[in-house]
Amino acid sequence: MRQHSMVAMILAGGRGSRLLELTNKVAKPAVYFGGKYRIIDFPLSNCANSNINIVGVLTQYESVLLNSYVTQDQRWGLDAKDSGIFVLPPREKSEGFGLYRGTADAITQNIDFLDQYDPEYVLILSGDHIYKMDYDKMLSDHKKNNADITIAVLEVPMKEASRFGIMNADETGRIVEFEEKPKQPKSNLASMGVYIFNWKLLRKMLNDDVKAEKSSHDFGKDIIPGALNAGKRLFTHRFKGYWKDVGTIDSLWEANMDLIYRGSELDLSDTSWKIYTEDITLPSQYIGRNATVKNAYINQGCIVDGHVENSVLFTSCVVEEGAKVIDSVLMPGAIVRKGAVVRRVIVADDVEIKENAKVGKPGDGEIELIHRNVHA
Amino acid sequence: MCNALGIINYDDASAYVEGLQDYRPMPSVSFLGRYRLIDFALSNMTNSGIKHVQVYVKSKPRSVFEHLGTGRQYNINSKRGKLHLLSGEEPIHSEIYNHDITAFMQNMQFIEEAKYPYVVIAPSFMVTKIDFNDVMAAHLESGADITVAYKTIDNAKEAFIGINTLTLDRDKRIVKFEKNQGKFKNRHVSLRMYIMRKNLFIDLVKLAQKTSSMYTLADIIGDNLNTLNIVGYNHKGYVACINNLDQYFKANMELICRDKASELFDPKWPFHTRTNDSCPTQYSPLADVKFSTIANGCFIEGEVRNSVLGRGVIVKPGAVVENCIVLPGAFIGENARLNYCIVDKNAKIMHVKELLGTPEDLIYVKRRDTL
Repeated sequence: MRQHSMVAMILAGGRGSRLLELTNKVAKPAVYFGGKYRIIDFPLSNCANSNINIVGVLTQYESVLLNSYVTQDQRWGLDAKDSGIFVLPPREKSEGFGLYRGTADAITQNIDFLDQYDPEYVLILSGDHIYKMDYDKMLSDHKKNNADITIAVLEVPMKEASRFGIMNADETGRIVEFEEKPKQPKSNLASMGVYIFNWKLLRKMLNDDVKAEKSSHDFGKDIIPGALNAGKRLFTHRFKGYWKDVGTIDSLWEANMDLIYRGSELDLSDTSWKIYTEDITLPSQYIGRNATVKNAYINQGCIVDGHVENSVLFTSCVVEEGAKVIDSVLMPGAIVRKGAVVRRVIVADDVEIKENAKVGKPGDGEIELIHRNVHA
Repeated sequence: MCNALGIINYDDASAYVEGLQDYRPMPSVSFLGRYRLIDFALSNMTNSGIKHVQVYVKSKPRSVFEHLGTGRQYNINSKRGKLHLLSGEEPIHSEIYNHDITAFMQNMQFIEEAKYPYVVIAPSFMVTKIDFNDVMAAHLESGADITVAYKTIDNAKEAFIGINTLTLDRDKRIVKFEKNQGKFKNRHVSLRMYIMRKNLFIDLVKLAQKTSSMYTLADIIGDNLNTLNIVGYNHKGYVACINNLDQYFKANMELICRDKASELFDPKWPFHTRTNDSCPTQYSPLADVKFSTIANGCFIEGEVRNSVLGRGVIVKPGAVVENCIVLPGAFIGENARLNYCIVDKNAKIMHVKELLGTPEDLIYVKRRDTL
């Protein structure tokens, strides 16, 4: 029996510069999300839940934290003898330092890693998307269609389709055309950046791509269009459910807010598809005598004695008596002192809002990121 | 502290949490929403640097095995460390023979084989933060044969009932062991934590076996107060002796309070447990929670006061939960009113609308029961 018919490779090298100071020292996949998680917990947990045992994580930008985070593979239950999460940052080679020049190049430079496992299929994922997906179902589609490449797609509103890579497919799901951010989209099936390739084919395409002078060594720009032109069998796999690429402070705030309402499409309480993360060694949350907590999503280690409304509190946040936290996201270790008011902001980890200080404002303007301590 | 074998002792008849222990042994009794009692004893040992721990489990060991696993979450490494889960090798049906000495005798080979010169012994039902390095330092300094950790308490009429009290001479040598019958307020009480040389421990176990087949470790130590130099170690700091349902309830309740909790919880001395990967807790617009400890994964739409909620507890709209301990996975249905209840794991309160206990008369709802 082949132990590793499919190996996953997670592209986790991006900075996510529109997340401002949140990604000054960590890559976007390591950004906190959902009260206790980091974004990369989602693709990693999806892999574990889809029975994928070998996961490579390709890191580049500010990778120290991310590398040490994902190597603890027991967090996602990938710690059996023949399982593992392997960190693959760029390396020095005989011909020089091998910085990853594009998403495809990152895989090309790790062909040796994949060859060790000699998989039949390779699953390419992005490390910065939030969604729950069974890749095993996608693989079934791939096999059923006798496909060379399968691309996961989701329906987006037609008016937003021009922001995405759009797949035009025939009635069997076979992709006939791919358009990157089309002005006049012909369909609303957007690529999620989730691909299954037959490894032999991908290996050959990557080896050709690395020699192509004009290539930007990117899956969306070079590999997928190239495969289409060569007449390969590309199929869509329809995904229904919550999927979000949190590229900005606004969208990160919004995605966190999505969790507050029970019945949200992203249900993290569903025990059949848990999202796994770091094991936090802290006591339960404490809600004090003076606290009022309405419509909130709060993690262990928090101490709340003030007013919390429409907000997400990550691990170990403190909201003191008389403080107000409204429509906000407090990242791990954030402290809101007595009398302080926090509204419509993201407070970065370990930032302190001092006594009686006020940050953010009501309304529907842009969400502010508070990344330094604030005094009254 | 790499020179000692850790032993988490067998449950014994003097500690029994009514109801809860019908379903699991003492080490797996749920505590403060997200812990099991053994987390405290075992974390104390591994935080003290003990690398090899034996856990003696009396009956229904499944939950203990599942919870502890290889011990990795307690920082026991897999190659140089060892977590040994031991139970009586032969089932002994008569309760009078089923005690720690029997279990030690049946596993004597593994005690003898452990390569450490000392043993550190602790029970699973004392919830405290203790650094065994300090106890060991005192042990070496005093030159005692056995060091017994004790605590000086002023509520011996209610707490530590059935546990030995100590009488100490001026040099802290223990001159008398006496069961606490709840007659006096101020007492030195044994924490059932001992440090001694492993060889002495083995001798005592064998001697106990010979003396009487009903003898426990505490009994044989008590017999040897004159022949051995047995010294007390005064442990300061929070201790909860969870030896009955009332004390279990009281400890959970008093640790809601931040000041009390901070005596036990110290960021530098973490109490490890098995993660359950629960999501954060969700509070609906109807939630009304005050003065409570809430574990992750709960969904609260009702009123919660002065209570401890375990992981994944659901409180529906209109429900009022007051002065309760609700164990993981329990469901409190719409408009149910609960006061002074202990609701065991996965129980469902659906059709009964009122369960009103009192501090003296707690109501216990059985595991997986539907009311």
